[in-house]
Amino acid sequence: MGLIQRAVEEAGIPTISMGNAIDRMSLIKPPRALLVKFARGCMFGEPGNKERQRRIVMDGLEALQTMTEPGTIKELPYKWKRPDPS
Amino acid sequence: MPLNLERFRAAYDKWVEESLPDYQAGRMEHIIKTYPFVVPDDIPWTAYSGDPANQTFALLSSGGLYLKESQPAFDTASIHGDISFREIPKTVQQQDLGIAHKHYDHGLAEQDINTIFPIHRFIELEQETVIGTLAETHYSFSYVNNAVGLVEKTLPELISRLKAQAIDVLFLVPV
Repeated sequence: MGLIQRAVEEAGIPTISMGNAIDRMSLIKPPRALLVKFARGCMFGEPGNKERQRRIVMDGLEALQTMTEPGTIKELPYKWKRPDPS
Repeated sequence: MPLNLERFRAAYDKWVEESLPDYQAGRMEHIIKTYPFVVPDDIPWTAYSGDPANQTFALLSSGGLYLKESQPAFDTASIHGDISFREIPKTVQQQDLGIAHKHYDHGLAEQDINTIFPIHRFIELEQETVIGTLAETHYSFSYVNNAVGLVEKTLPELISRLKAQAIDVLFLVPV
Protein backbone atom coordinates (compact mmCIF):
# COMPACT_ATOMS: atom_id res chain seq x y z
CA MET A 1 0.00 0.00 0.00
CA GLY A 2 2.88 2.35 0.75
CA LEU A 3 4.29 2.02 -2.75
CA ILE A 4 0.87 2.62 -4.29
CA GLN A 5 0.35 5.80 -2.31
CA ARG A 6 3.83 7.07 -3.16
CA ALA A 7 3.36 6.42 -6.88
CA VAL A 8 -0.02 8.15 -7.02
CA GLU A 9 1.26 11.15 -5.09
CA GLU A 10 4.31 11.30 -7.38
CA ALA A 11 1.97 11.25 -10.36
CA GLY A 12 0.41 14.51 -9.14
CA ILE A 13 -2.71 13.27 -7.33
CA PRO A 14 -2.90 14.15 -3.61
CA THR A 15 -3.48 11.14 -1.37
CA ILE A 16 -4.48 10.37 2.19
CA SER A 17 -4.13 6.97 3.80
CA MET A 18 -4.72 5.29 7.12
CA GLY A 19 -2.82 3.01 9.42
CA ASN A 20 -2.94 1.42 12.85
CA ALA A 21 0.76 0.80 13.60
CA ILE A 22 3.03 3.80 13.96
CA ASP A 23 6.23 1.75 13.67
CA ARG A 24 5.13 0.37 10.31
CA MET A 25 3.93 3.77 9.14
CA SER A 26 7.26 5.34 10.09
CA LEU A 27 8.91 2.82 7.81
CA ILE A 28 6.48 3.29 4.92
CA LYS A 29 6.46 7.09 5.23
CA PRO A 30 3.09 7.91 3.66
CA PRO A 31 2.72 11.49 2.38
CA ARG A 32 -0.39 12.07 4.57
CA ALA A 33 -2.02 9.62 6.94
CA LEU A 34 -4.44 9.12 9.80
CA LEU A 35 -3.49 6.79 12.65
CA VAL A 36 -6.31 4.86 14.31
CA LYS A 37 -6.41 2.66 17.41
CA PHE A 38 -8.33 -0.13 15.69
CA ALA A 39 -7.19 -3.60 14.69
CA ARG A 40 -6.52 -4.79 11.15
CA GLY A 41 -9.65 -5.28 9.12
CA CYS A 42 -11.61 -2.41 10.68
CA MET A 43 -9.81 0.89 10.12
CA PHE A 44 -13.16 2.73 10.30
CA GLY A 45 -14.26 1.17 13.56
CA GLU A 46 -17.17 -1.06 14.48
CA PRO A 47 -19.52 -2.52 11.85
CA GLY A 48 -22.66 -0.43 11.54
CA ASN A 49 -21.23 2.60 13.33
CA LYS A 50 -22.02 4.98 10.48
CA GLU A 51 -21.42 8.08 12.55
CA ARG A 52 -17.90 7.03 13.39
CA GLN A 53 -17.15 5.95 9.80
CA ARG A 54 -18.35 9.32 8.58
CA ARG A 55 -16.33 11.15 11.20
CA ILE A 56 -13.13 9.39 10.14
CA VAL A 57 -13.78 10.21 6.46
CA MET A 58 -14.33 13.83 7.50
CA ASP A 59 -11.05 13.71 9.46
CA GLY A 60 -9.43 12.65 6.20
CA LEU A 61 -10.92 15.60 4.33
CA GLU A 62 -9.74 17.95 7.04
CA ALA A 63 -6.26 16.42 6.99
CA LEU A 64 -6.03 17.06 3.25
CA GLN A 65 -6.78 20.71 3.78
CA THR A 66 -4.57 21.25 6.81
CA MET A 67 -1.48 19.04 6.39
CA THR A 68 1.34 20.97 4.78
CA GLU A 69 4.40 18.82 5.56
CA PRO A 70 5.17 15.60 3.67
CA GLY A 71 4.97 12.64 6.04
CA THR A 72 2.42 14.10 8.45
CA ILE A 73 0.57 11.48 10.49
CA LYS A 74 -2.39 12.53 12.63
CA GLU A 75 -3.49 10.29 15.46
CA LEU A 76 -7.26 10.02 15.89
CA PRO A 77 -8.71 9.72 19.41
CA TYR A 78 -11.43 7.12 18.79
CA LYS A 79 -11.47 3.93 20.84
CA TRP A 80 -13.20 0.66 20.06
CA LYS A 81 -16.80 0.60 21.30
CA ARG A 82 -16.31 3.79 23.31
CA PRO A 83 -18.13 7.02 22.51
CA ASP A 84 -16.30 9.59 20.43
CA PRO A 85 -14.66 12.30 22.52
CA SER A 86 -16.56 15.56 22.18
CA MET B 1 15.97 9.14 -4.10
CA PRO B 2 13.50 7.00 -6.04
CA LEU B 3 12.97 3.34 -5.27
CA ASN B 4 15.95 1.26 -6.33
CA LEU B 5 14.18 -1.63 -8.02
CA GLU B 6 17.31 -3.50 -9.02
CA ARG B 7 18.59 -3.61 -5.47
CA PHE B 8 15.16 -4.69 -4.26
CA ARG B 9 14.88 -7.39 -6.92
CA ALA B 10 18.06 -9.13 -5.77
CA ALA B 11 17.10 -8.98 -2.08
CA TYR B 12 13.56 -10.10 -2.88
CA ASP B 13 14.65 -13.14 -4.92
CA LYS B 14 16.81 -14.23 -2.01
CA TRP B 15 13.96 -13.66 0.43
CA VAL B 16 11.56 -15.75 -1.67
CA GLU B 17 14.02 -18.63 -1.76
CA GLU B 18 14.66 -18.53 1.98
CA SER B 19 11.06 -17.87 3.03
CA LEU B 20 9.17 -20.36 0.92
CA PRO B 21 9.16 -23.18 3.52
CA ASP B 22 7.92 -20.82 6.24
CA TYR B 23 5.35 -19.32 3.88
CA GLN B 24 4.02 -22.71 2.91
CA ALA B 25 3.79 -23.65 6.57
CA GLY B 26 1.90 -20.43 7.36
CA ARG B 27 4.63 -19.02 9.59
CA MET B 28 4.01 -15.46 8.48
CA GLU B 29 5.44 -13.62 11.44
CA HIS B 30 9.01 -14.61 10.69
CA ILE B 31 8.93 -13.93 6.98
CA ILE B 32 7.30 -10.52 7.44
CA LYS B 33 10.22 -9.58 9.68
CA THR B 34 12.79 -10.56 7.07
CA TYR B 35 11.01 -9.04 4.05
CA PRO B 36 13.46 -6.69 2.29
CA PHE B 37 11.37 -3.62 2.81
CA VAL B 38 12.65 -0.96 0.46
CA VAL B 39 11.51 2.55 1.11
CA PRO B 40 13.30 5.56 -0.29
CA ASP B 41 14.30 8.42 2.00
CA ASP B 42 12.19 11.02 0.30
CA ILE B 43 8.44 11.45 0.71
CA PRO B 44 6.55 12.35 -2.46
CA TRP B 45 4.22 15.30 -2.14
CA THR B 46 1.56 16.90 -4.29
CA ALA B 47 0.15 19.97 -2.58
CA TYR B 48 -3.58 19.79 -2.01
CA SER B 49 -5.56 22.80 -3.11
CA GLY B 50 -9.17 23.64 -3.75
CA ASP B 51 -12.33 22.59 -1.99
CA PRO B 52 -13.54 18.98 -1.54
CA ALA B 53 -17.02 20.20 -2.54
CA ASN B 54 -15.73 20.76 -6.08
CA GLN B 55 -13.52 17.69 -6.42
CA THR B 56 -13.67 14.07 -7.51
CA PHE B 57 -12.69 11.39 -4.99
CA ALA B 58 -11.79 7.73 -5.45
CA LEU B 59 -11.18 4.99 -2.89
CA LEU B 60 -8.50 2.33 -2.91
CA SER B 61 -8.53 -0.67 -0.59
CA SER B 62 -5.95 -3.37 -0.04
CA GLY B 63 -8.56 -5.64 1.50
CA GLY B 64 -8.71 -8.14 -1.35
CA LEU B 65 -12.21 -7.07 -2.48
CA TYR B 66 -13.58 -8.37 -5.77
CA LEU B 67 -16.95 -8.78 -7.43
CA LYS B 68 -17.99 -12.37 -6.80
CA GLU B 69 -20.14 -12.68 -9.92
CA SER B 70 -17.88 -11.14 -12.53
CA GLN B 71 -14.25 -10.97 -11.38
CA PRO B 72 -11.68 -13.60 -10.47
CA ALA B 73 -10.55 -13.76 -6.87
CA PHE B 74 -6.98 -12.66 -6.08
CA ASP B 75 -4.22 -15.25 -5.90
CA THR B 76 -3.84 -15.97 -2.19
CA ALA B 77 -1.55 -18.98 -2.54
CA SER B 78 1.57 -17.50 -4.09
CA ILE B 79 4.36 -16.13 -1.92
CA HIS B 80 4.53 -13.23 -4.40
CA GLY B 81 0.97 -12.24 -3.57
CA ASP B 82 -1.04 -10.78 -6.43
CA ILE B 83 -0.04 -7.58 -8.21
CA SER B 84 -3.35 -7.14 -10.01
CA PHE B 85 -6.23 -4.91 -8.96
CA ARG B 86 -10.00 -5.04 -9.35
CA GLU B 87 -12.26 -2.17 -10.28
CA ILE B 88 -15.15 -1.79 -7.86
CA PRO B 89 -18.13 0.24 -9.09
CA LYS B 90 -19.66 2.98 -7.01
CA THR B 91 -22.97 1.08 -7.08
CA VAL B 92 -21.49 -1.94 -5.29
CA GLN B 93 -23.51 -3.57 -2.53
CA GLN B 94 -22.25 -5.63 0.38
CA GLN B 95 -23.53 -8.90 -1.10
CA ASP B 96 -21.65 -8.31 -4.39
CA LEU B 97 -18.25 -8.45 -2.74
CA GLY B 98 -15.95 -11.35 -2.06
CA ILE B 99 -12.74 -11.04 -0.06
CA ALA B 100 -9.56 -12.84 -1.16
CA HIS B 101 -6.82 -12.00 1.33
CA LYS B 102 -5.40 -14.49 3.80
CA HIS B 103 -3.71 -12.20 6.25
CA TYR B 104 -6.46 -10.46 8.17
CA ASP B 105 -9.78 -11.37 9.78
CA HIS B 106 -12.61 -10.63 7.33
CA GLY B 107 -15.35 -11.05 9.92
CA LEU B 108 -16.10 -7.37 10.50
CA ALA B 109 -15.85 -6.40 6.82
CA GLU B 110 -18.27 -9.20 5.98
CA GLN B 111 -20.76 -7.61 8.38
CA ASP B 112 -20.17 -4.09 7.06
CA ILE B 113 -17.85 -3.39 4.16
CA ASN B 114 -17.62 0.24 5.25
CA THR B 115 -15.29 -0.83 8.07
CA ILE B 116 -12.56 -1.17 5.43
CA PHE B 117 -14.06 0.50 2.35
CA PRO B 118 -16.37 3.36 3.34
CA ILE B 119 -18.05 3.67 -0.04
CA HIS B 120 -21.50 4.27 1.41
CA ARG B 121 -20.29 7.09 3.62
CA PHE B 122 -18.68 8.72 0.59
CA ILE B 123 -21.92 8.40 -1.37
CA GLU B 124 -23.74 10.19 1.47
CA LEU B 125 -21.14 12.96 1.47
CA GLU B 126 -21.57 13.35 -2.27
CA GLN B 127 -25.36 13.60 -1.83
CA GLU B 128 -24.83 16.26 0.83
CA THR B 129 -22.36 18.09 -1.48
CA VAL B 130 -19.60 17.85 1.14
CA ILE B 131 -17.57 16.36 -1.71
CA GLY B 132 -18.13 17.18 -5.36
CA THR B 133 -18.18 13.79 -7.02
CA LEU B 134 -17.52 10.24 -5.97
CA ALA B 135 -15.88 8.49 -8.90
CA GLU B 136 -17.82 5.78 -10.73
CA THR B 137 -14.93 3.33 -10.26
CA HIS B 138 -12.81 2.46 -7.20
CA TYR B 139 -9.87 0.10 -6.77
CA SER B 140 -9.02 -2.96 -4.74
CA PHE B 141 -5.74 -4.77 -4.23
CA SER B 142 -4.87 -7.75 -2.09
CA TYR B 143 -1.65 -8.96 -0.49
CA VAL B 144 1.41 -8.06 -2.59
CA ASN B 145 5.03 -9.00 -1.99
CA ASN B 146 6.30 -8.62 -5.54
CA ALA B 147 7.03 -4.91 -5.44
CA VAL B 148 8.91 -5.00 -8.75
CA GLY B 149 5.87 -6.26 -10.65
CA LEU B 150 3.66 -3.83 -8.79
CA VAL B 151 5.82 -0.81 -9.61
CA GLU B 152 6.68 -1.75 -13.19
CA LYS B 153 3.38 -3.18 -14.41
CA THR B 154 0.46 -2.36 -12.19
CA LEU B 155 1.02 1.16 -10.94
CA PRO B 156 1.37 2.81 -14.38
CA GLU B 157 -1.95 1.21 -15.33
CA LEU B 158 -3.62 2.33 -12.11
CA ILE B 159 -2.37 5.90 -12.51
CA SER B 160 -3.55 6.03 -16.10
CA ARG B 161 -7.04 4.96 -15.00
CA LEU B 162 -7.10 7.49 -12.16
CA LYS B 163 -6.16 10.24 -14.61
CA ALA B 164 -8.73 9.07 -17.16
CA GLN B 165 -11.38 9.49 -14.44
CA ALA B 166 -9.95 12.93 -13.52
CA ILE B 167 -9.51 11.92 -9.90
CA ASP B 168 -8.54 14.87 -7.68
CA VAL B 169 -7.92 12.90 -4.48
CA LEU B 170 -7.25 9.22 -3.75
CA PHE B 171 -8.24 7.93 -0.29
CA LEU B 172 -6.29 4.75 0.46
CA VAL B 173 -7.36 2.27 3.12
CA PRO B 174 -5.00 -0.57 3.97
CA VAL B 175 -6.21 -3.47 6.09
